[in-house]
Amino acid sequence: MSEMWINMGPQHPMTHGLWNLRVRVDGEVVLDVDPEMGYLHRGIEKISEDRHYNEVVTLMDRTCYVAGLAWEHLFITAAERALHIEPPERAVWIRMMTEEFQRIGSHIMWYAAFVQDIGLMSPFLYGMRDRDLILDLFQSYTGARLTYEYNRVGGTRNDLPSGFTDRARKVCDWLEDRFREYDTLCLASDIFHKRCDGLGRLKASDCVRLGVTGPMIRSAGLKRDLRKDRPYHAYDQVQFDVAVAEGADVTARYLVRMEEMRQSLRILRQCFDWLDRHPGPVVAENLPRWLGAPYAPVGREGYLLKRNYPKGVGFSAVEEPHGEALAYIVNEGGEHPYRVKLKSPVFTNISAARHYLVGYRVADIPPIMGSVDVCIGEVDR
Amino acid sequence: MDEKAATERLRSQLSTRFPAGILAVEPFPGTLGRVRFDPALALDLFRELRDVHGFTHLGMVAGIDWVQEREVVYTLWSDERRVYLFLSTLLPADRARIESATAIWPSADWHERETWELVDIQFDHHPDLRHLLLPTGYQFHPLLRSFKLHEPEDLEVKVRNV
Repeated sequence: MSEMWINMGPQHPMTHGLWNLRVRVDGEVVLDVDPEMGYLHRGIEKISEDRHYNEVVTLMDRTCYVAGLAWEHLFITAAERALHIEPPERAVWIRMMTEEFQRIGSHIMWYAAFVQDIGLMSPFLYGMRDRDLILDLFQSYTGARLTYEYNRVGGTRNDLPSGFTDRARKVCDWLEDRFREYDTLCLASDIFHKRCDGLGRLKASDCVRLGVTGPMIRSAGLKRDLRKDRPYHAYDQVQFDVAVAEGADVTARYLVRMEEMRQSLRILRQCFDWLDRHPGPVVAENLPRWLGAPYAPVGREGYLLKRNYPKGVGFSAVEEPHGEALAYIVNEGGEHPYRVKLKSPVFTNISAARHYLVGYRVADIPPIMGSVDVCIGEVDR
Repeated sequence: MDEKAATERLRSQLSTRFPAGILAVEPFPGTLGRVRFDPALALDLFRELRDVHGFTHLGMVAGIDWVQEREVVYTLWSDERRVYLFLSTLLPADRARIESATAIWPSADWHERETWELVDIQFDHHPDLRHLLLPTGYQFHPLLRSFKLHEPEDLEVKVRNV
């Protein structure tokens, strides 16, 4: 048959965001793919160079719209290192707890969208229902459900409200039961296995070569998780296992994410115990006034500028729900960062698309790309 | 082995292997360090670090515009040693070009496309250097300092003394 290029996107149910997958096909068989990005490029790195450090946090919520808080942590830890500021321990634990809730929230969102791609409608509704409980918790201490703006250089904006940990424990218990239901709905379904087993294989050595990280590399049997390999926040003080699977296919990625959510619940329960026992400040003392969280003024006027602040370079690496996220921030002593460079795990996971799509059929593309967990906000930035 | 000793060891290993071209190996908190190298050494150094030192994963490529010069920062990760390492090189702004790392780490592909279009650094022998985030044919490089977001009067910030 004759070959042709077809566009899947930018408006296609498979894309889960605004991007275009150009596919060269021969009949039903995929011969080559070429992802086209940039539809959501807002120049966040450039805008950051023109913003006060605490204002950049606002932009970080817009990088990944299902894991905004993980991106806040990525930026804020790098910024704190660039500015030579240590956050208090309680803020670190709140961040760790938040990040695990965010991981569950992101994975549930992925689950809901992914199972819909393969033709199972009801898990989508269950998933959205359960994710709302996490958003309710976020709302109770950040005041928002999507764009949180909760972290500040030197700590967090405010402490947790009273009774938070008890409410959060109940949510964790509820979720643990629901995860069993999720598995029953999918793993016991013929539709699921027919659409997922053996698709989108990418073996471990290729993952390393192509820079693929996160649940995708762990589904190929490689135990790489920055929370274990290079603990940040207080991950070295909590017990958890790294979820791995062997199949390197779509089903394996499902299994890894499901296990990761269960491990997140384990971490969360340890966080609640620690937070109950250790009240304290959530913002560093003796912050320079221009960084004065939580009272940092918003807007262009009213800063107490200090231009001779010590220079520095900050680097942070965070195991975001999608994989390895990196930030490199150059502080040249001004009130704005000189350069902010962000690396999204999805960016490299999509760049390897040719290696896990070619040879499969056009109808396999939605489950395979679904299993990658695409978030275009953080790819395009 | 603590961080400082590890950085020092890497410095002696690299400067023995490449007597010319390694300009400095500086400590960098939380990582193995930052290697400043001569751009002419690029591919040899990349290959050495991947094959001998186990840095099999390229995390990112960042371009920084220092007006007179442009810096390229490579972030590497080693699964064996579980540590990050930075490579940094300075290129003159009027001849900002360096050998592409795609031959060593195929993952450099998109990172270099992005760095080329945003910071105007040319990567020689890149298999497919074209626009990624910006429209095809876009003439500007937005992450250069000379690319202004606002007119100068908008940028004025009222300064109050403490």
